[in-house]
Amino acid sequence: MSVTYENATRVLEPEMKELDEIDFFTDTTLPGNTNPYFEKLRARGPATRLPKREVIAVTGYEEGLAVLRNEERFSSFNAAYGPHPLPFTPEGEDITDQIEANRGAAATFRMISTFDPPNHTRLRFLLQGLITPNRIRDNEKFMWRLADDLIDEFIGEGACEIAFRLAQPFATLVITDLLGVPDEDRQAFRKLLSAPRSGGLGSLDGPSDPEDNPLPKIEGHFVRYIEDRRANPRKDVLTDLAFSKYPDGSLPDAEDVASLSAFLFVAGQDATVRVATAMMLILGEDQELQQRLRADRSLIPNFIEETLRLESAVKTGFRLAKVRAEVGDEEVAPGTTVMLCFSAINRDPKRFANPDAFEPERKNARDHMTFSRGVHSCIGAPLARAELRVMLERLFDRTSEIHIDETQHGPAGSRRVHYPPSYQMHGPTELHLSFTAKS
Amino acid sequence: MVKITYIEHDGTAHTIDAALGRSIMENAVKNALPGILAECGGSCICGTCRIYVDGTWLARMNEPAANELAILDFVEEGQAGARLSCQIKVTEAMDGLAVRMPERQYA
Repeated sequence: MSVTYENATRVLEPEMKELDEIDFFTDTTLPGNTNPYFEKLRARGPATRLPKREVIAVTGYEEGLAVLRNEERFSSFNAAYGPHPLPFTPEGEDITDQIEANRGAAATFRMISTFDPPNHTRLRFLLQGLITPNRIRDNEKFMWRLADDLIDEFIGEGACEIAFRLAQPFATLVITDLLGVPDEDRQAFRKLLSAPRSGGLGSLDGPSDPEDNPLPKIEGHFVRYIEDRRANPRKDVLTDLAFSKYPDGSLPDAEDVASLSAFLFVAGQDATVRVATAMMLILGEDQELQQRLRADRSLIPNFIEETLRLESAVKTGFRLAKVRAEVGDEEVAPGTTVMLCFSAINRDPKRFANPDAFEPERKNARDHMTFSRGVHSCIGAPLARAELRVMLERLFDRTSEIHIDETQHGPAGSRRVHYPPSYQMHGPTELHLSFTAKS
Repeated sequence: MVKITYIEHDGTAHTIDAALGRSIMENAVKNALPGILAECGGSCICGTCRIYVDGTWLARMNEPAANELAILDFVEEGQAGARLSCQIKVTEAMDGLAVRMPERQYA
């Protein structure tokens, strides 16, 4: 069965302006669903210069893959920064030194997701030890218990908003368990990460206020944990983390490990929540599919992959050409911003037949680039997949039916679901469901 | 530079000049060869860069470490000569190497 979701759940949007009149990064008249805009870009070519910015937008699958896999030519310095003016003026044929000299310009340039080799390589190596099959298996056992505990909190109400009541605390507490945060501190982390923040990634109002970034507070906790475990080792994950070594055998500074740990909290939060809500929206709208998945749980993993393909929470990512390079057929100068349009890449007809159709049994659904590719691909992907699966399975275990709450979102056929405008993030940040609990 | 041949499941062969010191996986993806997915970019987590190597060539490679074996086991890779190509750095001794790739890197 294949169903197109393009019109079923989006708010009635105003007619899109002509492509050359649109500044993608500030235009508040663009609908929350920017796929039609990306398709207009694709019509100009798999890699094309944006009309109003010095940005090359990539909508082609192979072209995007080539950029992501060639980190020696394309820096991730601006991965989370977007198209804003760089803190330096690119000079010469290789801007690598300029990039590294400007890491201090803003917090965004000091996250692992924006680092380049060789510094990136050794930091990523530290994370590998956390995401081993054994750690994921243990973490998954925790996930089942956690899902039940969170569902217990609202199951008696017959309806709830699923992002704040389930997906967000779930994502946060899963990471606290993965990192071995002491039980007594976990609720504090939950609170810290559920506080509403201004702007958000890809805000059309420009770069966000540094004060709103929870990273420094979380880093503070982890510096204390690491220093404590290095002085007083125990048999726990935090101790393993504290003693993880770089590939050359040296011990990282506590600040670097803390920074990495804190990053995991922000990396895996918003995106996981948005895909979870998108997933529940699909199942709320398609009761037949919901019943089919309930009856045969083995269909769930591929359903999740297809959801990831069509509801990529991170719809754009950025790279910075370090040297003269080719993007598709476009030659770019050093210092050019490249925008990878993941949601469009995931709909490239050269890779995905009938690309806009939601096909839960699509054989190559997992070819999507929702988790990006190359050295910066989402290291938490196995975790995210497990989280979505466990949340869904437990909701299925604890309910016999789940519907979209009409009192909040309107009736089928004319739903109102809010997609916060952003040039980087996609997906509903809240979704109200009604359900029938199983006794 | 050494010559490495990557053979797809259907027999299509791709021979490249492989850079020493980079992994067998890196050489494949940076040359845009099909057949190796490498979702995790070489972090030994995803198991989607699997290759099959015959005995004589296997002997010229580093032994798999515990984390590589854990992933091969985790993805239920049972075939003889299976390795994660991201965990093998290309050396001079691999000149003329041929590796086979699975039909699908994920189930």
